[in-house]
Amino acid sequence: MRTYDWLLALHVTGAFLFLGGAVAAGVFSVLARRAERPSEIALLLGLTRVPVVAINLGMLMTIVFGLWLVLHVDDYELWEGWVLASLLLWLVTGALGYLGGTRERETRREAERLAAADDSPADAVALRLRNRVANMLSWGAGLVGVLILVLMIWKPGA
Amino acid sequence: MIAVTRPDSGNLPLFLHVFGAMAAFGSLLAVVVLAAAAMRRPERATLARAGWRALLIAFLPAWILMRIAAEWIRSKEDLGTDDNDPGWLGVGYVVTDLGLVVILLTLGFAFWWTRRRGEGWQGRVVLGLGSLYLVALAVAWWAMSAKPGS
Repeated sequence: MRTYDWLLALHVTGAFLFLGGAVAAGVFSVLARRAERPSEIALLLGLTRVPVVAINLGMLMTIVFGLWLVLHVDDYELWEGWVLASLLLWLVTGALGYLGGTRERETRREAERLAAADDSPADAVALRLRNRVANMLSWGAGLVGVLILVLMIWKPGA
Repeated sequence: MIAVTRPDSGNLPLFLHVFGAMAAFGSLLAVVVLAAAAMRRPERATLARAGWRALLIAFLPAWILMRIAAEWIRSKEDLGTDDNDPGWLGVGYVVTDLGLVVILLTLGFAFWWTRRRGEGWQGRVVLGLGSLYLVALAVAWWAMSAKPGS
C-alpha cells in the first residue's frame, strides 16, 4: 500500500468513528426520550460515554490524517474553498457537540437524582429531553458532520 | 477525500453508500453497547427492548441504504464484471451479502431476547453477532478506502 492509501484509510476510519459515534449517540438520545422512568433515562444517556469516545477519537483522526492528505496530494491545496470550509465546519461541529453534550450530561444528572429519590416519571426530565435548544445543538452537530462528508465527496472547486 | 478522481455523476450514490455505512456502523455500535450493558446491569428488559428498536428502526434502514447505493455505484462506474471484480469490491460483497445472514440472525435473537424480557443467553448471542459484524464493517471500509492490491 502506498502512503496515500494508508492516509486515506486512516482518514476514512476517523470519519466512520466520528459520524458512526454521532449516530450511536443520537440513537441513545432518541431511546432516552421514549423512556418513562428517570432510572431508564439516566441509564440510556449514560451509555453515550462510549460513542463520545469514538466521536473524539474520530474527530482527531479526521483532522490529522485529512491535513496530512492535503499536504501529501499534489492536486490539493490547504487554501482551497472546500478544504477551508471543511476545517471551519469541523470546528463548528465540535463546538455544537460540546455544548449539546454538556446539556445532555446535566439532564442525565437530574435523571439520576430523581431515580435515587422515588424513580417516578417526572416532567422536569421529559422537558429537558425535549428542550429545543439542546436538541438543536446536538442534532446540529451531527448535521454539520454530514455536511463535511458532502464536502469530502463532492469537493466543490477542486 | 474518498478518491482523487471520480466522475461527478458517482458522487450522490457514493455519498448515500458511505452515509448508509456510517449510520449502520453507528447504530450497530449502539446495539452492541446496549447488549454489553445488559450483561452487568439489572435493567435487562429495558436494554433488550432498546437494542431491538435500534436494530429495527436505525440499523436495518441504514444497511439497506448502503446496499442499494452500492449497486447504484456499480451500475454507474466501470468496476469490472462479476468474474473480474477487484478484491476490495469482493470484500464489500462478502460483508454485505454474507453479512445478511448475520444480520437476520441478530434480529431474530434480539427479538427472542425481548420476548424473554432481557433474561437468558440470547443477549450474549446479540452481543457476539453484533460485535462480529462491527468488525466486518470495519474490514470493509478499510478495504474500500485503501483498495489493497488495486
